[in-house]
Amino acid sequence: MKLVFKSISLFALIISLVACSSDDDTQKDEQKPTISINYSNGFPQVCDELKRGETYNFRALVTDNQELASYSIDIHHNFDHHTHDDQEGTCELEPKKDPVNPLIYMENFSIEGAKTEYEINIPITIPADADTGNYHCAYSVTDQTGWQARTSVDIKIVE
Amino acid sequence: MFYKILSAWLGFSLCTLAFAQNSSHIKGFVVDEKTLQPIEGVNIIVENGYAISTEKGEFNIKNLLNKSYQLKISFVGYETQTITISPPFKMLDIHLKESTTILEEVEIVGHSKHRREKESSVSSVSVDKTFLHENRENSLMQTLEKIPGVSTINIGSGQSKPVIRGLGFNRVAVVQNGIKHEAQQWGADHGLEIDQYGIENVQIIKGPISLLYGSDAIAGVVNIKAPPVPLNHTFSGSVNLLGESNNDLIGVSSGIAYRKDKWFYRGRLTYRDYGDYKVPTDKVVYDNYVFDLHKNYLRNTAGKEANASASIGYVDGDFQSETFISNVNGKNGFFANAHGLEVRVSDIDYDKSNRDIDLPYHSVNHFKITNTTCFLIEDHHINIDLGFQNNYREERSEPVPHGYMPKPADSKERSFNKNTYSLNVTDMFYPFNHHEFIAGLNVEYQDNNIGGSGFLIPEYNRFAVGAFIFDKYEINKKLFLQAGLRFDYGVYNTFDYYDWYPSKVDDGNGGTTDEYLQRSKAANLHFGNVSGSVGLSYIADKTTYKFNIGKSFRMPLANELASDGVNYHMYRYEKGNIDLDPEESYQIDLDINHTTDHGYVTFSPFVNFFDNFIYLNPTPDYYETQQVYEYTQSKVFRFGGEISAGTTLFHKLELDVSTQYVYSRQTSGPKKDFTIPFSPPLSGLVSVGYQFQDASIFQAPKVVVSYIITADQNEIVPPEKTTEGYQVFNLSFLLQIATISSEKPLEIRFKLNNIFNTKYYNHTSFYRLIDVPEAGRNVSISLTQNF
Repeated sequence: MKLVFKSISLFALIISLVACSSDDDTQKDEQKPTISINYSNGFPQVCDELKRGETYNFRALVTDNQELASYSIDIHHNFDHHTHDDQEGTCELEPKKDPVNPLIYMENFSIEGAKTEYEINIPITIPADADTGNYHCAYSVTDQTGWQARTSVDIKIVE
Repeated sequence: MFYKILSAWLGFSLCTLAFAQNSSHIKGFVVDEKTLQPIEGVNIIVENGYAISTEKGEFNIKNLLNKSYQLKISFVGYETQTITISPPFKMLDIHLKESTTILEEVEIVGHSKHRREKESSVSSVSVDKTFLHENRENSLMQTLEKIPGVSTINIGSGQSKPVIRGLGFNRVAVVQNGIKHEAQQWGADHGLEIDQYGIENVQIIKGPISLLYGSDAIAGVVNIKAPPVPLNHTFSGSVNLLGESNNDLIGVSSGIAYRKDKWFYRGRLTYRDYGDYKVPTDKVVYDNYVFDLHKNYLRNTAGKEANASASIGYVDGDFQSETFISNVNGKNGFFANAHGLEVRVSDIDYDKSNRDIDLPYHSVNHFKITNTTCFLIEDHHINIDLGFQNNYREERSEPVPHGYMPKPADSKERSFNKNTYSLNVTDMFYPFNHHEFIAGLNVEYQDNNIGGSGFLIPEYNRFAVGAFIFDKYEINKKLFLQAGLRFDYGVYNTFDYYDWYPSKVDDGNGGTTDEYLQRSKAANLHFGNVSGSVGLSYIADKTTYKFNIGKSFRMPLANELASDGVNYHMYRYEKGNIDLDPEESYQIDLDINHTTDHGYVTFSPFVNFFDNFIYLNPTPDYYETQQVYEYTQSKVFRFGGEISAGTTLFHKLELDVSTQYVYSRQTSGPKKDFTIPFSPPLSGLVSVGYQFQDASIFQAPKVVVSYIITADQNEIVPPEKTTEGYQVFNLSFLLQIATISSEKPLEIRFKLNNIFNTKYYNHTSFYRLIDVPEAGRNVSISLTQNF
């Protein structure tokens, strides 16, 4: 019985030692990056209408506590109303329809130079023959550790 | 304490004996319910007399009056039985059941005898029918979660996966009737397809036990044993009705068992139907999204389950054979607002009913036929398990275009069809004095097929064969040395897979071409592995010590080797690695149990090292705008253990406390210094039970209050979130009413889970990532009539 209690106390001691020491022994990155279009140059904003044939600069601010790694921009149609954005304002959707030649934009980029702040600024031309209607634009960013942040916004492509 | 009561009884009976009139007597015999072997030394006590069973299990109580008597039959290590008999007294045939409820025990595959369990050096816990009945929750693993060291990954209210000491998925082997359960264990939203009714004995082995169970038993085994052979010339059965308030569940399960001489039969039907479950919040806030919940219902989490099983067996002396056939069929909805992490909008009116199962949902059917045969040839105990199982699982969701994939024609997003053929042969024999050898062979063949519009894992076949030898050496009556060695060999054949739609690919000249991308290449992979263990056990008067060092392994899974697809619901591109090595784990286990008449204390720590732990690592890179998650290997160091203690005060008040802890750290690789995914937090369980007096036909009334306390979990690895600690109170009330007889009572269980409707998060729940709290207050009533 004594041995049992001895072993238990030893075990409890090890646990408490580990529990106390685990806070300060490493430089583990436990923070996600951030991503935002909510600033004056952020683009697109909720319900922005993008004209076919025009070129727009897609801009978003990303930050991280240590080192930003990559980002991606994904524009896809929302003709079937399958999703919605995470912005404050809501965007009135046009009636559902079937796609014929929808714009699909999927590109990945890397952020060089161990930055902790960066402005995404990518010119994208809306093809002249793309279907008009509801679209969804999603930004995502990763840091070197592998944490990810995402944001998305509902937009429209018009004539 | 037991002996004190006994001597008091004996003293009383001896005194009264002299005055009794010589008019009648009770005769009978006592056997072990499972082995049907006579038990010697059992105490049979009545008001005016007592007897102790002979070597043949017989007893005879003389000098009784011609009136009703209550007999109390008790023996150490068995559940005490109380029966009422009336004259004329017939020959009594009493079957005692081993009590395994609280005792921390040890056992080796199947060959269960009480003493054998203590002699093994591997740490394990066995629970019986009573434990399963008293603690019954919505799924088998939730029921077993009360055992220190066991936790679960829950998918909604009706499904769960086993986790032992912080490791789950394919690192825990689930064995039913000797055959390893093979399904889609790797999937995050997959639950265990086993009917929890009709199970009477489950053994949890906490520790690496590949030696006996092969690949996957790296963290432990949930060993669901066949129920004992029914008694000769008996027909018995039970009907259970269950109702729950939180998810409006109604369930019914009925089973029968019959034996006539050498042949015996069993059958069971179970049906459960439940609605969406309620959480103690009216909105879920996930990142910037807010989902309002209609009347606290977590939309579209309803489900249903229909199971049937039957068996036919033959027993004759040293020969026993039983064939089991079972089919488990389930359908479960997934939370409608977010499928995985992906936020979805739909025209489906999910709130019109809380019972319908709309898209997205999954359905699963698991068919199993197994045979277990054991016999004795001279000194060789041979055990043969043979099995076939088919697992068919489908995930359905509203078709939506993703990336270059146009809108699919139907809702079948993924389907998995898996056939598994298994054969296990073991031979236990005694070549030398004080040595007991077990030699075994396991062979398994799997055939995996896929379907649906999405691609995650390729089709593959897998063949695995393993052979082991294990020796238990009795150094003296108290000290046992055991050692074993195993060799495994496995072959994988993966098949080609091409997308069913074209993607735009850079043609190298500044333009793009349309291409049907190849997601998986045919490959032929071979794996070999040696595993083994050495252990000591020492059985002192009241204390048992166990020490074990073992090496276990796990073959990489097809998804770990050959995944190559976008999992849109998780916003990630999952990439396999064909060069992965089998996972190898080294573990040192200690287990000390001290049991006296007053209570017990158990302490079971472990230290564990993985040479190449496989996990899905989120990288900083993108593929088609989805973050690349790559299967990677790293070294992992872990330690932890469980402490539990209990006592009974004033013969009535039962106090039990337990605590469990696991520390994990990756010591190499891209996530060095991080923990491993799904690490359960430090937690404890305090339960207080009070056993009331029987009152006429009301037997064994009991109230249990349990208090679960869980610490914060701040040890996470991307993309997990930290989870705050919580405290939850549960209450249960149990009662038996002697409706048909006191041996075939109506068992009533009333449970109140999450009494204070506390809003808390379970770090290892499937819905944790989208900030869905655990279920709110739940009242459940269960009625079981035995006949």
